[in-house]
Amino acid sequence: MDNRSSVEIFTEWDIVAARQLGRNEAKNSGFGTVDQARITTAISELARNIYLYAGKGKIEIDRLSTDGMKGMTIIASDEGPGIPDLRKVMEDGFSTSGGLGAGMPGVKRLMDDFKVESEVGKGTIITATKWLR
Amino acid sequence: MNLQVDVQEKDCVHVFKIIGEIDAFTAPTLKEQLEKVADQPECQAVLDFKDVNYMDSTGLGVFVAFYKKVKAVNGSVKIVGLNKRLKRLFEITGLDDVVEIEMESGDTNGTV
Amino acid sequence: MPQEVGKQYSELLRKYITHEDETDLYAAQQVSRKFIEKKISPEEVISLHKTSVEQIFPDLALRIGPSYDFLIEIMIHYGLALMEHQSLVRKQEALQIEMDVAVKVQDMLLETTVPKVNGLDIGVVSKPAKKMSGDYVYFIEQGNEEACVAVADVMGKGLPAALCMSMIKFGMDSLREKATEPHHVLEVINQIVEKSMDDSMFISMFYGKYVGATSTFTFGSAGHEPALLYRAEEDRFVELDAKGLLLGIRKDVDFQQKSIELATGDFIVMLTDGVTEGRNAEGFIEEDVILGMLRDVKNLPAQQIVDHLYTELFKMQNYMLHDDFTLVLFKKE
Repeated sequence: MDNRSSVEIFTEWDIVAARQLGRNEAKNSGFGTVDQARITTAISELARNIYLYAGKGKIEIDRLSTDGMKGMTIIASDEGPGIPDLRKVMEDGFSTSGGLGAGMPGVKRLMDDFKVESEVGKGTIITATKWLR
Repeated sequence: MNLQVDVQEKDCVHVFKIIGEIDAFTAPTLKEQLEKVADQPECQAVLDFKDVNYMDSTGLGVFVAFYKKVKAVNGSVKIVGLNKRLKRLFEITGLDDVVEIEMESGDTNGTV
Repeated sequence: MPQEVGKQYSELLRKYITHEDETDLYAAQQVSRKFIEKKISPEEVISLHKTSVEQIFPDLALRIGPSYDFLIEIMIHYGLALMEHQSLVRKQEALQIEMDVAVKVQDMLLETTVPKVNGLDIGVVSKPAKKMSGDYVYFIEQGNEEACVAVADVMGKGLPAALCMSMIKFGMDSLREKATEPHHVLEVINQIVEKSMDDSMFISMFYGKYVGATSTFTFGSAGHEPALLYRAEEDRFVELDAKGLLLGIRKDVDFQQKSIELATGDFIVMLTDGVTEGRNAEGFIEEDVILGMLRDVKNLPAQQIVDHLYTELFKMQNYMLHDDFTLVLFKKE
């Protein structure tokens, strides 16, 4: 079985498609309603960032099963401008005050593991995982 | 408490008509307007205080910063329309010796 | 989420739906407190509610279930906002601790002792409007015969202001053995701060030196509020002004220096604009009012005079300080 599925982000409608994919995958992985909503919100935020700041990119979803642990990983990647000051975007109050939504700290809180790799001028890859308890 | 700053430019002189009270809340408005011209080479500015009845130390800080920047580009600052209270403020602080202050009657007071 | 909490919620809800009793609502309040304690998020509460409702009304589950899912979606961001808020509160607490440390450092660094000079009675009161003051008083004692004082108002507050104050202090300390003529002290301090200050900063400072042997008070001012001299024999006040530019504006500034002789009962009041620019509901507190208050208590010891003035002006301003408030009084015994 293929454990990876993905949605390309070009337009705002693609954000909805990514959400739909994420929700279905979360449901099939056995996540409860609240966690489904959390994972979907995280995907939504990441896809929206791609749409707003990079113009285009990709949301990939991996189903995980390691050492008896099951979970889901979201990989958001783009070849946009990159994040010049990572520390700043990870700070509480940075994006929310500008009305941009939950922002990166929000995504980090919604998921269990969170990793950002970003290079200015090259792009950004964000990996976020939620484990099934 | 409100502050309004009208800016006019004639013959290369920037005239700032300041209306209201200059305090910690309104000083940023004045600062923003002044900074737009402060570093223009040989900037010449006139600050009209006729409709200012109060200025606190924050306002004075904005003025001092502006004065220093204008001096650094060999420009000049002139002040007109000070009321009694503000005139006293400029006298006490010694600023009347370093900037040109024109009184209502038209006489000038100290030029450098 | 702990299962027992879920069970408790479910039972409580069932009870309330059956009896609609206030007791159950009171219990609900306790439960909500427990939820917050256990950091249960708003969306989890709704999910819990959904499950409970579906158990109580199984036949409704299909129809109303999606409405709860919708609400969960809505509440996710509220949950995030709550967590962000909590994290910011923790951060603020940490900042508060740092701030308290800064205040302590400032107090320690800028500590000054009121000198004891033969024939001179000194009173001082200095109150910050906020935690860190922009006003600064520093004394230098030279035996029992001489005392110098600086009363300064630093534009700006917090750490930058504290650093300026330390420059004043170290400037004065380094000059104490050599030259303490007011115009010279002001020149030297001006050169120190002019180099190291931000453009929008400045300091106003009054500097005075009292010599016991001759009862003379010599002073200079760098753009500071004039001091007030009370002449006991004539029962009148005189302003002590000396020409001089604020510190930190230009490199080379000349400061005027003046001297006066004090007679018994005469006193000098040095102050900052927090005293003269006090505001009450009707507007500024006029100088006449302040002079009147001073005159009322002119026969008291120096410390009592300044304490009285502070208390009265504080009352007049509705028990609020809008600006740092500093008074130093030299009274000839």
